[in-house]
Amino acid sequence: MNQITRREALKRIYLATVAAGTAGFLSFDDVLAAADNKINQPTVVWLQGTSCSGCSCSFLNIEDVPVIELITEFMDLVYHPDLSLATGNDVLNIINNLIRSSRKYIFVFEGAVPVKLPHACLMGGIPIMEWVIRLASKAAVCIAAGTCASFGGVAKMKGTITGNMNLSEFLEYKHVDVPVVNLPNCPLKPEHITYTLLYYIKNRKLPELDQFKRPLYQYSKTVHERCIYYRDFQEDNFAEFIGDEGCFFKLGCQGPVTHNDCMKIGHNKNTNICIRAGHPCIGCADSEFPRKIMFHSFNDKRSLVR
Amino acid sequence: MAKKIVIDPITRIEGHLKIETEINNNVVTSAKASADMFRGIESALTGYDARVAQQVTQRVCGVCPYAHAEAAAKALEDAMGIRPNRNGQLLRNLIMGAYQLQDHILHFYQLCALDFIDVAAVLKYGGKDKDLNYVKDWITTEQKSTKIYPLAPFFPRYKADYCRDQEVNISAIKHYCESLPMMSDLHKMVAIFGGKSPHTVTIEAGGVTTTPTVLSIAKYRTYLHQAEDFIKNKYTPDIVAVAKIFKNYFKEGKGYGSLLSYSQYPDSNGDNSLFTGGTTIKGKHLKLDLDKIYEDHTYAYYKNDSKMQARPLTREQPVPLDWQEFEKHHKDSKGKYSWSKAPRYNGYAMEVGPVARLVNTYLNKSNVLVNRMVDKFNRELGITIKDYASVMGRHLSRAIIANVLIEKLKNDIENVEADVNAFVEHDIPKNARGVGLIEASRGALGHWIRTDKDGYISRYDMIVPTTWNISPRNSKRNPGPVEKMLIGTRVKDAKNPIELARIVRSTDPCIACSVH
Repeated sequence: MNQITRREALKRIYLATVAAGTAGFLSFDDVLAAADNKINQPTVVWLQGTSCSGCSCSFLNIEDVPVIELITEFMDLVYHPDLSLATGNDVLNIINNLIRSSRKYIFVFEGAVPVKLPHACLMGGIPIMEWVIRLASKAAVCIAAGTCASFGGVAKMKGTITGNMNLSEFLEYKHVDVPVVNLPNCPLKPEHITYTLLYYIKNRKLPELDQFKRPLYQYSKTVHERCIYYRDFQEDNFAEFIGDEGCFFKLGCQGPVTHNDCMKIGHNKNTNICIRAGHPCIGCADSEFPRKIMFHSFNDKRSLVR
Repeated sequence: MAKKIVIDPITRIEGHLKIETEINNNVVTSAKASADMFRGIESALTGYDARVAQQVTQRVCGVCPYAHAEAAAKALEDAMGIRPNRNGQLLRNLIMGAYQLQDHILHFYQLCALDFIDVAAVLKYGGKDKDLNYVKDWITTEQKSTKIYPLAPFFPRYKADYCRDQEVNISAIKHYCESLPMMSDLHKMVAIFGGKSPHTVTIEAGGVTTTPTVLSIAKYRTYLHQAEDFIKNKYTPDIVAVAKIFKNYFKEGKGYGSLLSYSQYPDSNGDNSLFTGGTTIKGKHLKLDLDKIYEDHTYAYYKNDSKMQARPLTREQPVPLDWQEFEKHHKDSKGKYSWSKAPRYNGYAMEVGPVARLVNTYLNKSNVLVNRMVDKFNRELGITIKDYASVMGRHLSRAIIANVLIEKLKNDIENVEADVNAFVEHDIPKNARGVGLIEASRGALGHWIRTDKDGYISRYDMIVPTTWNISPRNSKRNPGPVEKMLIGTRVKDAKNPIELARIVRSTDPCIACSVH
């Protein structure tokens, strides 16, 4: 009886992966095998630096694979700050035991790492930078979830004094050699991490990356190149006010400089896209986020350059 | 004999929080709450365009970003001297309302429920529900596995007096699973008018950049009906069931009982809010006087200077301690111990959040539905309005607020006009100042802005719900609200201080917010 329920559930997962376009990585047999533990579920540990938990909240919106099944069938999620029942010392023990074990794991990191003021982010009374060094050193791969972990984002915006570094910048600075994949978007897009995890489960390596360590699959094109108003741009048809039809270029749109797949897979399971919602792209997946001006009135003469 | 209990990190909240208590004969005699993360967003905003505040301050908090967007937009609208048009205000309500429902569901199921509910109860389940059999199967398989932490992330957990009522346990576990797709749908509701969620883009001073259509209105309405079913038939009964079993928690974590809230969810003209703000001190409800709000940084990790107490916009942000100074204070039991400042209202440490929102509205008698609903639950649970400032009262308040909110959203969606602009553009005000006050899911949120001669930000201040709740002591050494809630609590087993975790989590702390 339970066998059937389980098989049915797995079939559902498989069909969902087909719908998500990730079926190329996993056959139904793979999914069955994963459930029987024949494929090693990757061990995953999730940590937050100077983050806002937005990426974690966004992660819970995963629908390609139901979250509860993703964290039970596909991976062995030993620690997540917002999901784990463990609290206090138990958490420190889990992490220390994981580091001490010979097990390789995926280290997901959200937020940035304060270096100039190490005390600007503490866990168990120890600066988060120490935890990042310890965890990353023993990891098989690291996933920089979201813009802060990938590029610094708001945590590193001009005017901050904590000396925040993004994950790969920090690991380089500390001479920790480990593969990192950057998944910028503020917050992390759930499809991006699902893709990366499923790819890793199947191939035991990261997908092909660009020079900024982003998967080519999602980040090879700018938002602008695939924009619904691209035609308007070519025909010099520009919106002058919010509510106008036409390209948002003159309203300060960051689409031309932002590499992302928003126009292919919109936010919240394709419910909407910022530009479709009448707002210029604010470039939340770009290395220069946040810019000095994000939304420009048509007659505003101030420079857009940071 | 005095003993120390340290919980660090406290999980299932937002961010990095440490709780340190001293207990004597199993009773907490003193408590310290340390917010352990700092980014310095307020001072960093200087020099950015005034409209950037909306986008950046949302990133202060990924759990309730909508509230920062709204507060920032309202502060700038105050500086512009305008209000959104009818459609703009309605869409704002619809975006915020859906988000708040998501936030309350997340708080109960993912963050708190498993402190009361016994997830192991599912092993005794004999029914045919697919989700439950899935979880049961998984637990059975995991128990046999050779992983270092089988059953993660649901174990290890504190040994505690979890709920023994099988029916209540099963219902809550089932709804834990169902809440995940439900929350995803609520975020879709936000995205329909907000562009995306978390971190909506469309809320701007002057309205909402999305123009509603017949289709987007219909889509929102469809999701709203689903949400209504979940809130009324699953979320609320689960909270009431837990409240009945853990009735003693209406007496735990009471704190000062001083409450502060702002008003929230106005009508389409921006008046007659659903929840009216104010203060309740020693049981007496009074109007709010904004000039009585100030922040104190005596016990916060900033250098001492000539102005240790300051009202918003009246000073530059204080300078953070360097590593050496930090270490000195860290080792000193009388030293500074948190990145959070200590806001006070006329000297009082105020609890903000769902209880403040509900009790202030109730005592103000401004909303018949609120009073009727509170009275109904009071009869059912045998409690009075005085019991709300407590662990279980906080959970119950969220449930009542969610129910009231559903009715408001059902009304507002019908009044949205399709194909009518929800945004009117205004010039960025130069050399201006403004304040934006709203109720975030976690309580009273205020943004204060000042712009320079070119419309760039010259000063920005935020006093955030968790800044109030998790605040450290002030110059007079008066504990912050959560610290006060912990004092006097009986801890049965110092190795498994579930009582303390339940109290802290009931206030839904957001540390990234509190320090920013």
